Amino acid sequence: MEGNNEAQLGRWVDGRLAVLRPAGDWQPDAVTGLARLRERSGGERTRGGSWTWAAAAATAVAFGLLAFPAPRAAAQRFCTACLMAAQNLAAGHTTGTVLKPAKERKPAPDFTLDDDSGRPIQLSGFKGKVVLLNFWATWCGGCKVEIPWLIEFQEQYGQRGFVVLGVSLDADGWKLVRPFISEKKINYRVMIGTDDIAARYGADQALPVSLLIDKSGRIAATHVGLPEKSAYRAEIEKLLGRKTRTAGAD
Amino acid sequence: MNASSEAVAGVEAIGARFDLETVFRAQYDRIARIIARVVHDRARAEELAVEVFLKLWRDRKAQDGNTEGWLYRVAVHAGLDELRRQTRRARYERLLGLVRTVPTPEEIHAANEEHERVRRVLSVMARCQSELLLLRSHGLTYYEVAATLDLNPASVGTLLIRAQQAFRKEYIKRYGR
Repeated sequence: MEGNNEAQLGRWVDGRLAVLRPAGDWQPDAVTGLARLRERSGGERTRGGSWTWAAAAATAVAFGLLAFPAPRAAAQRFCTACLMAAQNLAAGHTTGTVLKPAKERKPAPDFTLDDDSGRPIQLSGFKGKVVLLNFWATWCGGCKVEIPWLIEFQEQYGQRGFVVLGVSLDADGWKLVRPFISEKKINYRVMIGTDDIAARYGADQALPVSLLIDKSGRIAATHVGLPEKSAYRAEIEKLLGRKTRTAGAD
Repeated sequence: MNASSEAVAGVEAIGARFDLETVFRAQYDRIARIIARVVHDRARAEELAVEVFLKLWRDRKAQDGNTEGWLYRVAVHAGLDELRRQTRRARYERLLGLVRTVPTPEEIHAANEEHERVRRVLSVMARCQSELLLLRSHGLTYYEVAATLDLNPASVGTLLIRAQQAFRKEYIKRYGR
């Protein structure tokens, strides 16, 4: 008898709680969620505040040691190392960069595609420049998040030998992509990709896929999904070569 | 290795680097849905789901143990906290006269909707009981509920019945049968 009452109670409550189920057609947007997660976790991870202070304190101690001749040489080396570390931290170079060492990089597969005005663009024609090759689509949430970054990078680093090339994988081609370019005010060159090219770059499995290609046409980094903006920036700057560093640092 | 497989190798390297993202991809859908059961606003539910994964990212201990159970528990907490916040805000606004005192027909209709009633009841019940009901109604077994809420599996049945009784009592008190 008691068991029956409990079963009835259970059914009654379950019946009430059943109305809370989200509609079957609702699909949480994992791409945007992941973009948010990366933005938030990346921001916290690259926050180098405490390390910057530690490096500054260590530098101060080392400068103090300079007054004494014996440890002077060691202190000088220590100062230089600390200053470089602090510089890197301030520039956000702490994490997220995945540049391959120069000798491990492989050549980017070459291709030729037309841009929106019908002009052919050959990837190998950009040797001598740092290229960010971005595979994207108008329906891809992560791509929409990073497009403003790419616009910013093109504007900021364009004069220093940096080029963004967008390869759209929209099945409807220019009909969709051309208005999108105008709407987003995309300032870099965009092409419509083919399945073959997408497969050669691993962009047939996920989007966005971005590759950083060094000045000699070799793949220096591959990002599948949405990377941290600070990681992109650090990699671009490293590939372009910073004025304060010696040549060939990357 | 040619350049194409190089790009694909990059995919694998990235995957290995982001453990959090692997967990996120596997669990985001379920976590967002658990929260959306409690929080009416789906966009807000998705925001809260991201917060849950950020908490996981910050909590080393949670990453080592029963991550899935931890995520469920924190998701239900997050949903109930939001629900209570909304209920509190609505009450204060009414008290302070910040909003209209006469509700619109749409508001009356929404308040009478069954899901709103259920949410209100859950928001005033003891938190542990609401959690238990939500996890169970989400399809978790007794054993999973026990692992998630750190309970003795043998006592889940009893606690669940008490929670159901409390729910029915509060519901009938407010809305009748």
